Amino acid sequence: MGVVALAAFVGLVLGVAALVGALALLSGFQSHVLSRLADETPHVLVTPAGRPDFAGEEGAGRTLAALPGVVSVVPVVRGRGWITARGQAVPAALTGREGADGITLDPSQSRQLSAFPGEEVVVVSSRSRLSPIGPVPITASLPVTDVAVASTGRHQPEAVLPADAARRLFGLPSAGATGYELRLADADAAADVAARARAALGETATATTTWQEANRPLLLALKLERLAIFATVFLVVVVAGLNLAATSAVLAATRRGDAAVLTVLGAGPALLARVFLLAGLLLGAAGTLCGLAVGAILAIVLDATKALPLPAQLFSLAHVPFRVTARDLLAVGTFSLLWSFVASLVPARMAARVDVAEALRAG
Amino acid sequence: MPAEPILRAESLAKGFGEAEARVELFSGLSLELGAGEATAIVGPSGCGKSTLLHLLAGLDRPDAGRVLVDGRDWTALAPEPRARWRGEAVGFVFQLHHLLPELTAEENVALPLLLAGSPEGAARAAARELLSRVGLSRQSGAFPRVLSGGERQRVAIARAVVRSPRLLLCDEPTGSLDAAHAADVLELLLGAARERAGALLLVTHDPGVASRCGSVRTLTPDGLSAA
Repeated sequence: MGVVALAAFVGLVLGVAALVGALALLSGFQSHVLSRLADETPHVLVTPAGRPDFAGEEGAGRTLAALPGVVSVVPVVRGRGWITARGQAVPAALTGREGADGITLDPSQSRQLSAFPGEEVVVVSSRSRLSPIGPVPITASLPVTDVAVASTGRHQPEAVLPADAARRLFGLPSAGATGYELRLADADAAADVAARARAALGETATATTTWQEANRPLLLALKLERLAIFATVFLVVVVAGLNLAATSAVLAATRRGDAAVLTVLGAGPALLARVFLLAGLLLGAAGTLCGLAVGAILAIVLDATKALPLPAQLFSLAHVPFRVTARDLLAVGTFSLLWSFVASLVPARMAARVDVAEALRAG
Repeated sequence: MPAEPILRAESLAKGFGEAEARVELFSGLSLELGAGEATAIVGPSGCGKSTLLHLLAGLDRPDAGRVLVDGRDWTALAPEPRARWRGEAVGFVFQLHHLLPELTAEENVALPLLLAGSPEGAARAAARELLSRVGLSRQSGAFPRVLSGGERQRVAIARAVVRSPRLLLCDEPTGSLDAAHAADVLELLLGAARERAGALLLVTHDPGVASRCGSVRTLTPDGLSAA
């Protein structure tokens, strides 16, 4: 019996530890991904509604900067056009940003145009201006300063150019903007700040996009991934719980004689059921607590010692990150205890219904 | 008006199996035991002596008849009140001690009181007192595995009488003991019954043990007859 109980205990410890470890691994990776998303995407993008830009509304930037929780406000000029070089042209989403001193191409644009840092490209606006010979496209010749994926949250190949050049290309006055990118002290407060921004600039005249809304498909995928991993590893705990049920049943069968003696001494069926339920629960609680401790300690040690390295150029991470959260521990612990309780119910009923005379005859 | 007997069994019948495989152990069995009476039941192996004790203790149900202890019919009780009644009214001693191996002698003796809801301190004190009276005060902290056969049976007797039951049922209580230990154990049982003005019913193969009881009855398929 001791060996059987030990096997059930170890099974539960391993199941719970595996679930805690898997969730810590997921939390570690997802926390890293979310942190990068929050770093690279504007926390809130404020754009005009019902008009193309904030031209003539220079006070909008100051209004947004005064909102609680806003750390910085960056005006941006966005539009569409073409980038040409060596007789090739590619359509492009264009973002003008203060501080840029040339154009930063997306890697895909750079490859298509064979344009690399140091070379000149011509940006052609989708707008035109009238000349004595008719409408002519508005163009700007800019040096390529970098090739990188733009962190604007638009999820399409995008080129970033100086704000002044963008204003010229899209016909905006100086200090005009098609939107404002806000960075916040707390990225999780984006929805609240977005609501306050709409209220400050006019609910019907303003649209906002939070970094969570801009990355909704990815965030949904992360949630689904978490759910799928939880459901898979959760089965390990279910199997461990069934093992516990089997152990409790063996306990109830092998201690049938003791249950019969307790009945002779005056214990009723309810008390016998409680005794065997308590035995199963104690085994389940001990296994759960040890499993939580083993899983959490292992995850914390693996994270602190960076024991599992990753190729940094592939994952943007040098090691496998683990993050143990109280919420995960609480969820796993609660589920495991509940399952231990359910798994102990049947053996407890078996013990309560013991045939005393038969058990005594069997010795 | 005559005193109500402690035990009254009326027209008990019991058998096992179904249809052609049915074996009738006994039928029409009636028995009365008054305060201070000690009766031995003898009979060949397999005649149903232990089954009769189980019926009298409410551990098994008769096919017919009823059992009253102190005028109360346990066959009419639901499992929970029947268990409470049994703990209070009946003490049971087995051929094998059936002590719980994880508990000390003192804890085994205190167990019926604890099951009845007595405070632990009072239950342990009562257990120590009884162990002292059966000559085992030095072994109160010992586990059953380190006790001799006679010592275990004396602990089992202390456990059976710790709640001062009106009816003491013993199933071959000396069957696994040598003659010297058997005499000790039998004296303890008879003394316990006398002291508490209860009734003692024991089943045995041993004519010597049976002869120490006030009356001896033989179990037959038609009930009990004088030996």
